[in-house]
Amino acid sequence: MTRLLYAMLIGVVGAGVVHAIVLLLLPNYSERDAWARLSANADFYRFTRMSGEGAPPVIRGVDPFFDAVACRFDLSEGVVHVQAAGHVPFWSVSVYDRRGQNIYSLNDRAQTLGDLDLVLVTPAQMIELRKDVPKEFEKSVFVEADVGQGIVTVRSFVPDATWKKAVADYLDQARCAPR
Amino acid sequence: MFRIVLPVFVALAIAIAGGAWSVRYALDRGFGMETLTVGSWRAYPDLGTPNASAYARATVGRRGELPLGRAEGLAFLASSDDIGAALERNCTYRIAGEMPIARFWTLYAVDPSMTPLPPIGIRPAALQSSAVLHEADGAVAVTASPNPSQGNWLPLSGSGRMILVFGLYDTPIASSTEISRVVLPRVSKLGCE
Repeated sequence: MTRLLYAMLIGVVGAGVVHAIVLLLLPNYSERDAWARLSANADFYRFTRMSGEGAPPVIRGVDPFFDAVACRFDLSEGVVHVQAAGHVPFWSVSVYDRRGQNIYSLNDRAQTLGDLDLVLVTPAQMIELRKDVPKEFEKSVFVEADVGQGIVTVRSFVPDATWKKAVADYLDQARCAPR
Repeated sequence: MFRIVLPVFVALAIAIAGGAWSVRYALDRGFGMETLTVGSWRAYPDLGTPNASAYARATVGRRGELPLGRAEGLAFLASSDDIGAALERNCTYRIAGEMPIARFWTLYAVDPSMTPLPPIGIRPAALQSSAVLHEADGAVAVTASPNPSQGNWLPLSGSGRMILVFGLYDTPIASSTEISRVVLPRVSKLGCE
């Protein structure tokens, strides 16, 4: 009997160890995370809808008043240029690492130049770019992200049905291209 | 032989089952996350940020969400009313009070899997700040109910639990300096069918 109680005590301690291991490994091995869901829908450097009408959403928890797109990128293959032109009531951009941790975000009020124009770079690429900024990046906001692979999202507010098409068109022409 | 195998088996079973269950329980309850609670509303400002705890990181991976960045906004969730009773889709609630500072806000109802409730006719189970009636002092009163009601109506349908989501966009609340003095509307139950 004492032996069984002793075993149970070891079991409880072991449960604590298993708890910690599962918790730390879960973000790395989740097959349902944002990255896995997006991979099933679109290749790298392609904006894809985070939620669709009728179809089950790719990314859960997107506000029904929002139309949103997400693009997977890999900075080890070069810098990423994110652009979208046009007028919509509100847009915001977020950069996530591969595990869905938010690294950087901004909204339309922050980018006073007008259209969305971001260049995602690693700190090392930034040093290279500073030496000679290419013409196409003259108006861009540079975002240093010390990640390899990641996700960039553009969300836009759809106040009512009359805005639906304009916002969808705006997001359809959004580009996320390697340079 | 049996006297050795049984204790080992018991220890392993408790460790594996207990460990897996406790992680699930903790994540379902939002345990170990930086939580901002205002009345019945909860927000997780650190969710998805580099400051997030191990529990918050695991939650993001498990839910398959991409949480809003600080410059985008902050989402508050309510799964109970102001006396702590769970929100039901067949009940009538009044969500009223002063609205926090934000460029705009949205209020919508979702089921426990975070899928928005279906619309009634052309009316979605969602409202946004520029399309609601505001009172003279800027306060807003919303009635969430399966039955049409005057003023701002948030149409509910179906039965079972629901969660109200209050999305604040481009808001100073999301930056941590303002986080302590947040006012949000109260959620009170008026009755059930």
